[in-house]
Amino acid sequence: MRSPIRLERRLEQPKWLNWAVPLISLVAALVLGAIVLWLTGKNPIDVYHRIFERGFAGKQAFSGALEMATPLAFTGLCAAVAFRMGLINIGGEGQFYMGAIGAAWVGIAVSGTPTGITIALMCLAGMVFGSIYAAIVGILRAKFNTNEIITSLMMNYLAGILLNYLIFNSKSYWRNPDSPQFPKSKNIAARADWNTYKIFGIEMPIAFLIAMLAGVAIWFLYKRTRFGFEVSVIADSPKAARYAGIRTSSTIVIVLALSGALAGLGGAADVGNFRGLLDAKGLQMAGYGYTGIVVAALARRNPITTIFVAIFIGGLTKAGYSLQGPDFPSGLVGTLQGLILFTAVAGEILIKYRLRTNVSRAGAVVA
Amino acid sequence: MKRTNKKFAPVLLTAAFAIGLVACGGDDGGSSSSSEAPSTEAPTSEAPSTEAPSDGPVVVDCAPEEGPLKAAWVYVGPTNDGGWTQAHDEARLAVQEHFGDAVETTYKENVPEGPEVAQTIEDLIADGNTVIFGTSFGFQDAFVEAAAAHPDVCFEFATGYMTSDNMAQFYGAAEDTDYLAGMAAGAASKTGKLGYLASFPIPEVVRGANAWTMGVRAMNPEATVKVVWLNTWFDPAKEKQAAEALIAEGVDVLGQKGVDSPATGDAASAATGVLWTGYNTDQSENYPTVWLTATTYHWDVYEIPRIQQVLDGTWTTGNYYGNLADGFVKLAPYGDNVSAETRAAIDARLEELKAAPGSEFTGPIKDNKGNEVLADGVAHTFDELMSMAYLVEGIDGEIPAS
Repeated sequence: MRSPIRLERRLEQPKWLNWAVPLISLVAALVLGAIVLWLTGKNPIDVYHRIFERGFAGKQAFSGALEMATPLAFTGLCAAVAFRMGLINIGGEGQFYMGAIGAAWVGIAVSGTPTGITIALMCLAGMVFGSIYAAIVGILRAKFNTNEIITSLMMNYLAGILLNYLIFNSKSYWRNPDSPQFPKSKNIAARADWNTYKIFGIEMPIAFLIAMLAGVAIWFLYKRTRFGFEVSVIADSPKAARYAGIRTSSTIVIVLALSGALAGLGGAADVGNFRGLLDAKGLQMAGYGYTGIVVAALARRNPITTIFVAIFIGGLTKAGYSLQGPDFPSGLVGTLQGLILFTAVAGEILIKYRLRTNVSRAGAVVA
Repeated sequence: MKRTNKKFAPVLLTAAFAIGLVACGGDDGGSSSSSEAPSTEAPTSEAPSTEAPSDGPVVVDCAPEEGPLKAAWVYVGPTNDGGWTQAHDEARLAVQEHFGDAVETTYKENVPEGPEVAQTIEDLIADGNTVIFGTSFGFQDAFVEAAAAHPDVCFEFATGYMTSDNMAQFYGAAEDTDYLAGMAAGAASKTGKLGYLASFPIPEVVRGANAWTMGVRAMNPEATVKVVWLNTWFDPAKEKQAAEALIAEGVDVLGQKGVDSPATGDAASAATGVLWTGYNTDQSENYPTVWLTATTYHWDVYEIPRIQQVLDGTWTTGNYYGNLADGFVKLAPYGDNVSAETRAAIDARLEELKAAPGSEFTGPIKDNKGNEVLADGVAHTFDELMSMAYLVEGIDGEIPAS
């Protein structure tokens, strides 16, 4: 027996679907969430009000959301850039660590340079470390056709081991020799601290501005340059790209290096704007790289949308901590967050496909 | 030519970023920048401040004007981790039960060590909490900063070392119960090869590994203990793997310190003839076949009187170190694998340690490189205990980069 409903690929995707589907997905998530909340004896309106109040509304809440969003914006861009070419870079996590290692090195070492130049040097170091680390994955993929999902994932663990080695298991340059209580890294120099601007009472980390700049730059690169065009040709059909004389191998390496540079920049921001040192333990607890993959998927690989989705997830994360407590298990918070992500990704399918009932189709054939 | 230019677009963009940043950061002298202090700058020296401040402690009034006192606990792991965080949450429930309607408690679990800590504290204060407990070492910097920003909130911090007028420290002599658990382990080992899972190479954990090993060798003088460092507080999968690796090397009794889950007990249960001393909570009923005993913490022994002080308006900062005598640390019930003889020996030693906490660290003690650490009859000072950085004779392993 045939299913009464089936999916049919849309021949053309109407523009209005691009905003209508995510909106409907969000509403669907809120309705499903309300049912779950109601079943567990909570008042959905109160809960949603609190999510909004503590995650987004108000200066303090939004400042917190931006702080949470900043690393996710970078790792989201990292994943989006690679997804655009059909490359699945799971390695944002490790590339983020490497960027933090590079930037912390500069931040600790600098003396005498003005803050602006120091920030630029830290960014550069973060990007170089992140991009080299990701380029290894790219070279393996381009030369030996190794599956980048597996290599990039494995390299996350390697980067974690390197972090532990630098801080816990060696007397590295990064390790603070004057901390007998707990092994930790040296603090970056005071002048290597990144600025946080106050705009209309909202605390805007400079790193978030850099992330927005990066989002626009990536959009420009992919939409307005020949390089971007080549990437989309390769994404659609690698064979066609080769016939057209596009050098796919080097493009793979460049795209992954660019992807890694973005994650590395995020690592630099983590050191410079937030923690002020190389936090080996905290970084591995945070898992920014993995969340970034979700951000990119929700943003449908669009670099500009990625920034907004990062704010959304950042605010949701912040609100999640504020919701949980003895009468609100953190598992329920996770369920609500999961519902929103699930419906958003599920809604994606309705942009590419449309639902058809088999009954009407049969009728059409008869007619 | 033109094509070459476009090819390098990503590289050029990258360079453009860097240049843009210089321009961006250059104007930081302007009034628009609010340069925030880095969250990591320690206001005090790194040395443990065990002595009371010279001008006497200041009474901090953090009781609410009206309504119940709101107290909050911030946890690094889940409340059902079967270990560290669970023990803390059991104490919270004990506090709630003790004070009833006079106190309203809440908690935040799974809070990672990072910017989330400061945000969570702000959030709790916005909800009206005026006593905040921190239970993970990595929260310390955020707590110090929050304490400075909120002088009318009482901060209580477990396992740290930095105090201020409104931030107190509390912990206890787990090394004493670790030693007693080690005795049970040593007596139970047939092969004389034991394994110890340790979290981070920090004084607290080093002290535990040393005490456990000395306990082992008090019952089994030739025994050796292999120590592995996991570099995590809570990672059941990693803990289990490491335990399995030790079992594969022929270890027949396992101990643990600083790693918060009972995953080691799972690994021991899956093997044959392997026994286990746990950590944090009494798991004798969940792991009856492998259970020996464990160090358990009773945080409420400290927390209930402290909350009472808040209600009485007499709360001052402090640096508490509990012990067997006041019941802050206890030895969990013995498993069936601990013989009557061993129980008697441990119980006798327990009375000695109750009278003189930390006295298991009395010479002669040699480190595992053969150097004498303590001469016969000499004991460690409290500060020496708190900054321990050597491993005792009998441990197969080393403190990385010590």
